[in-house]
Amino acid sequence: MAEAYQVDERGAGLAVEVVGLTKVYSDGNVRALDGVDLQVAEREFVAVTGPSGCGKSTLLHLLAALDTPTSGTVRIFGADLGRMKNLAKYRREEVGLVFQFHNLLPQLTSLENVEIAMVRHEHGAPSHKEKAAQLLELVELAHAADRKPAQLSGGERQRVAIARALANDPRLLLADEPTGSLDSASVKVVVALLTRLREQTGTTIVMVTHDDSVAAVTDRVIHMRDGRILDA
Amino acid sequence: MSTLALVARNLWGKKSRSIGLALAIAFAVMTVVALTVVGSGLESSATAVMHIGEANFVLSQKGVSDILNSTIDKPTLKKIDSTPGVASAVGVLVETEKINAANPVFIEVGIAPSDLAPFGVKILAGHSYSADATNQVMLGYTAAQNFGLHVGDKFRANGAVNTVTGIVSTSSSFGNDAAFFPLPALQGYNRVPGIVTLIFVKVDHGVPVSKVMHRITYAQPELMALRTAAQFGQADLTLVFVKAAATGSAILAVVIGAIIIGNTMLLSLFERTREFGMLLSVGWSRKRIVGLIMGEGFFLAIVGTAAGLALAVIVVLLLTQLPQLLGVLHAHFTASAFITGFATALAMTFLGTLYPAVRAAMRSPMDALGHE
Ligand SMILES: Nc1ncnc2c1ncn2[C@@H]1O[C@H](COP(=O)(O)OP(=O)(O)OP(=O)(O)O)[C@@H](O)[C@H]1O
Ligand SMILES: [Mg+2]
Repeated sequence: MAEAYQVDERGAGLAVEVVGLTKVYSDGNVRALDGVDLQVAEREFVAVTGPSGCGKSTLLHLLAALDTPTSGTVRIFGADLGRMKNLAKYRREEVGLVFQFHNLLPQLTSLENVEIAMVRHEHGAPSHKEKAAQLLELVELAHAADRKPAQLSGGERQRVAIARALANDPRLLLADEPTGSLDSASVKVVVALLTRLREQTGTTIVMVTHDDSVAAVTDRVIHMRDGRILDA
Repeated sequence: MSTLALVARNLWGKKSRSIGLALAIAFAVMTVVALTVVGSGLESSATAVMHIGEANFVLSQKGVSDILNSTIDKPTLKKIDSTPGVASAVGVLVETEKINAANPVFIEVGIAPSDLAPFGVKILAGHSYSADATNQVMLGYTAAQNFGLHVGDKFRANGAVNTVTGIVSTSSSFGNDAAFFPLPALQGYNRVPGIVTLIFVKVDHGVPVSKVMHRITYAQPELMALRTAAQFGQADLTLVFVKAAATGSAILAVVIGAIIIGNTMLLSLFERTREFGMLLSVGWSRKRIVGLIMGEGFFLAIVGTAAGLALAVIVVLLLTQLPQLLGVLHAHFTASAFITGFATALAMTFLGTLYPAVRAAMRSPMDALGHE
């Protein structure tokens, strides 16, 4: 996989490089993204804001390779997603995604929901169970490890989802309103967690948020409207 | 968390659906195994006739529904006996009679006393009947035990009171459960003078058996020669029907089972589309998702097979107790019947899950996630 991530001169030091990204949903002819250009540096922590329906989630899904753009290119750490053969490996190993809605498997406990995302166990590494328990501790949910999603509050579920997104130590974390359904105390926990994560591991974070106080802790705020990025 | 653990968790989480599917598999396995066992049970009853004696092959009439309905007349027996290469040709009459409710199809063999020893009939107690005696009989020891009879006792059969001259054992359970009469006496009782059911042929030393067999069936096209148990099964049309029914219902069970499983799987996988979208989004490969779904099917196949085999044993044991089949059907639970049952379950679940699994795994992650 090494050569796939070779960074060319143009993309040097960039975690995300998006050029002319357009997404038209065939049903209803919605232009969710309309020629988006965006660069995010490695280790950068950016917030994406904008009114409902302006295309924030669509952008994140394209960055996570969960969907294919109508036109334009997405490069992640220099690698063109459109040319990548093993997208499952990319999703598994390079990127962590926290969805805005629907996140966890209802039949599994918090701990198992985190474990499910882990790659094959490597020799000498802590076991999946141990690592999942550590991640739940990180999001302050160690006490709810054996509970199923139905027995968690909306905010707790979102924190389990963050723990799962971190399961394979991704270089890029994409979070779609991770604090959307949290009370102010939990918001502080999550914001502190993301900030610390970036400081300690150098993870690049792209976070969609409506909350100005959350956006304020990031390096940069990107404003979107009608599928476009507004000039700062 | 391993795929296997998730398989178990998913099945456990949807208990009623899992039990329903396992039951569908179990009934298919039961049908297939029960019919296979009944088929081979009847076959081995028929085959037992062949075990009596040390003949090279047996001749019977061609095209009879039941091997015991074969009739061969005296001139034919004579011709066989004088065929070049034939060392001996012994005619045996096999009849059945209802003795009482517990023995609705009791088997009676008419055979000359001089032919007893070469055919593996050993006298355990008493002595043989004489060649042209009437009202004399020898009982297989199992039959003697069942009727509570000893040497010198009277055995009512063929509308006559027969004195038990001896108790015998044979090399097959079939013979141990039968009665032996002098050939002319049994022919007389059944009003078939000179007629035999089967002819046991022994060939001259050094002469190829197949050559003699062909010589005889060429000259006597109304006869068929049987050498192996399998051939015996083919000669018996009843058995052919049972086996055809077993094969037919196995295929039918697999097809119907696969449709039921496929349909149920499709419905439940449709409900689980978002779950698979979620797994794809956290980096599960399509292969692993197919493995998850087919693993669930495989697990059900194992549980269904176990339940189906248990049901089959119960059903067959009940069948052997039916008055009509008492003494005719001997249940033989062979390994191959069980293997056939398991193969049936595997085929059903494989066919039933492959398409739904591939279909579920081929959707794009966002497409699957957006599914309500
Ligand atoms: N699968 C889809 N099919 C058709 N249209 C879609 C689909 N997903 C999103 N859209 C449309 O694309 C546009 C952008 O949607 P998107 O979810 O990216 O908005 P958003 O900025 O995340 O909004 P919110 O703040 O409400 O989450 C909206 O008009 C939405 O209705
Ligand atoms: Mg959104």
